[in-house]
Amino acid sequence: MLIEKKYVPRHENSFIVCHWINAISFFMLFLTALPLYADTFRFLYDMFGAHTLQIMHRVFAVIFIANPILGLLFARKGFKTLAKEVLSFDKDDMLFNKKFPPELIGIHPTGMPKQSFYNGGEKMNITMQALLWLVLVVSGLVIWFGHGMFSKEMLSWMIPLHSIAAGLGFAAALGHIYLAASVNPDSMRGMQKGSIHAHYANAHHAKWIDELVAKGEVTRAEVEAASKEYKNK
Amino acid sequence: MATDMAMLHDVSRCTGCRACMVACKQWKDLPAEITPFDGAYQSHKSLSSKTYNLVKMNERVEDGKFHWDMIKVQCMHCENPACMNGCPEEAISKTATGAVVIDRDKCVGCGYCAINCPFDVPKIDGETHKSTKCNMCADRIENGMTPSCAQTCTASAINFGPKDEMVALAHTRLEDVKKDFPNAQLYGVDPNGVGGTNMMYILTDRPDVYGLPAEPKTPDTAINVWKDVVRPLGKFAGVAAIVGCAGAYGLSKVIAKKHQENKAKEKGGDSHVD
Repeated sequence: MLIEKKYVPRHENSFIVCHWINAISFFMLFLTALPLYADTFRFLYDMFGAHTLQIMHRVFAVIFIANPILGLLFARKGFKTLAKEVLSFDKDDMLFNKKFPPELIGIHPTGMPKQSFYNGGEKMNITMQALLWLVLVVSGLVIWFGHGMFSKEMLSWMIPLHSIAAGLGFAAALGHIYLAASVNPDSMRGMQKGSIHAHYANAHHAKWIDELVAKGEVTRAEVEAASKEYKNK
Repeated sequence: MATDMAMLHDVSRCTGCRACMVACKQWKDLPAEITPFDGAYQSHKSLSSKTYNLVKMNERVEDGKFHWDMIKVQCMHCENPACMNGCPEEAISKTATGAVVIDRDKCVGCGYCAINCPFDVPKIDGETHKSTKCNMCADRIENGMTPSCAQTCTASAINFGPKDEMVALAHTRLEDVKKDFPNAQLYGVDPNGVGGTNMMYILTDRPDVYGLPAEPKTPDTAINVWKDVVRPLGKFAGVAAIVGCAGAYGLSKVIAKKHQENKAKEKGGDSHVD
């Protein structure tokens, strides 16, 4: 059944909360350490005090680490789908990623293969962010607590490792935000209300809709009716 | 012209009186740190943000023989200082006299120096949130004085003077010391993994006996990768992502506009591929 005859339920509330906690804590972590990364942002230390930002960095670090761990308990469905999707990266995902770039500037490529719950690009982003999370957490914890536990050589490598993961994570996050907010604004609803328009879902995640139809969670007629209404608007 | 100055601690002469610790506290105006008695003469376990100079008094039994290994530890004042190279705020520098000093105003207390130092010297102070360590009494040296620890040493175990003189003294003394301690060796006198140090030692035994790394090394590769690759690359990635998104946004607007115009021209003709 579609919600209000229009929307396909996509994310559970706890998963949405996880997403935003992750987003906010990542950006706060990035901002609070930025003066160490680039002298241009030295003013942040002058404004708020270096120590305040360093304490905030640790507070948000704890949130950033705990969030997905708690998520595994409270947003089990979302994480299960996520893991299943990432592990099922296939030929169609490759083809999608190959054809996708023109979409960045609003040119819709033809012959796009049907995509599942997450598309090929999303799967790449999820994998990368998960790996970067691991690198950030491990290197961060070693810098924080590892004094005397690891060799000096190893400790000194944690600084460049932590920095590069943060830099890449930030660049990827910007791309992620751009794609959501500008290229596919219809997708935003998924991380706000937990559902997306059936027309959008069918156009961008057709395999997923096929699955839902097969499971009887939505009917083909419902989706078509919603699409028609969307196009007429 | 400032001369390269060095300190030479001859552990064979050290009596463990700790006068140097007191003199350091006095000149640096540092408070005493009361430490619990745990069965040995060793006071503080390691350097701290309030103790820049520490006499270690390690008890050791080797081959049935008792050894009391006394050594004065503080900043080594490396020729190639890891703390200085890895400081993101350029708060640490090496003076012309060879002392490695921290500029308190520039220091933000990030602790990178503590991570990178192969001797575990810098300590971040819990109250001021600044990195702290011995600066070889750079202020005294610049005014022609001797660092307070060397000045006060009752056993003439701490020598201070121009580096070449100290190196010469180290070699002559080593010959003497070797008669009693066949394992005696110099530490930091010759260039090593940290480029040699302005704090030098005549040890009566292997460095590890005194808790000194046998082969100290400035983590140059990690620091250079961070400085010359990671930081520029990270900045580039961030700026490229911002510029890329802004550019793509602009371009997509232009394309959307053209698309609209074409649509209007074709009067809603559906020949255009959507």
